[in-house]
Amino acid sequence: MHSSVVDFIYQNKDIYIKKWRSTLDELDLNIYHSSISNEIIEETKAEFIDLVFGTLYTGEGEVAARFRRFADRLIYYHIPLSEFIRSLQLLRRVIMHDLEEQSTKEQYDRYNVDLEDWLDENINKLVDEFSNARENTVNLQNTALKELSAPLIPVFDKICVMPLVGTVDTERAKQIMESLLDGIIQHRAQVVLIDITGVPVVDTMVAHHIIKASQAVQLVGAECILVGIRPEIAQTIVNLGIDLSKIITKSTLQKGVYTALQMTRREIITLDEQRSTEV
Amino acid sequence: MRIPILKLGNYLLISIQVELDDQTALLFQEDLLNKIHQEGSQGIVIDLTSVDMIDSYIAKVIGDVVEMSNLMGAKVVLTGIQPAVAITLVEMGVSLNGVQTALDLEQGLEKLQQELEG
Repeated sequence: MHSSVVDFIYQNKDIYIKKWRSTLDELDLNIYHSSISNEIIEETKAEFIDLVFGTLYTGEGEVAARFRRFADRLIYYHIPLSEFIRSLQLLRRVIMHDLEEQSTKEQYDRYNVDLEDWLDENINKLVDEFSNARENTVNLQNTALKELSAPLIPVFDKICVMPLVGTVDTERAKQIMESLLDGIIQHRAQVVLIDITGVPVVDTMVAHHIIKASQAVQLVGAECILVGIRPEIAQTIVNLGIDLSKIITKSTLQKGVYTALQMTRREIITLDEQRSTEV
Repeated sequence: MRIPILKLGNYLLISIQVELDDQTALLFQEDLLNKIHQEGSQGIVIDLTSVDMIDSYIAKVIGDVVEMSNLMGAKVVLTGIQPAVAITLVEMGVSLNGVQTALDLEQGLEKLQQELEG
């Protein structure tokens, strides 16, 4: 390894820790999220110092694990990574300054290369672990999103509701269609209400998916009612020239349920009224 | 391979349980129309529960059969189209416009009864 510079840094470890500590204190870790307590920030800084100097004398495997833990911590508290990278660059400047004073030209050149190697490797590891951890989080979120994607809920005999929440993209539209059709078969539904109250934007693409879904629903032998059409969505649909005339549409889920009951030749009656007419 | 066509009162029942190739489909079209003529049936249920795949040609033949039967005064309901088949048809842009569908044989017969009475 880069033993010469390691020895040098290791000998002067305490000085550098102190010096570096003061530069770390200048870092503004709270610029994005003022909600993090000072305690946590101090703890994170201490861990970082420990981690960086730890790479001088601990084994490869343990270092990787510690970097991973540190990256997880950064993500957990939403602490920006860039400040820590800048701090490593500051550390390099400090050490190089001292090296220049204390060693010969020849030594200095060799130390310089070793130092760069050491610090660059630390930066690389930190960035790698950070981006890996980020990617993991994104993947987990994607899976979670898919899981709550599109439930088909039976509300009455032969009537099901599918509430859609969030943006509908091609990938999701496919899932929605599959879950819709399988659900219809499973629940023996005759009418399905697709509720788009929670869909923020209905553009030509989303409308296209909805039309396709309703065609498929008709093919398996059920009817499709589109409910939850807000005023602004009605405006977009007409302005974009989307033809939804083949699909039954209603403004609210409630009206949709009434229509669905009519279509299955049933109605909701108030018990009291019925009694009074009987009497 | 001929597809059996069963008579039940005023209705004709067809359950397609073989893979439909072009030849079979055309033969079925001819058989069905002859049967309608012969029996004077008013309602027809074509059950597709065990059909896993429908290509665009078969879809066209089915659409034609429905239209032809309507011309001969018989109402047609397609039943038991599988989700995968429905998705393929929609992806291909075949919408089988104006064709009645139902979830299964039971609901198909119910639908026919409603239509013929109402």
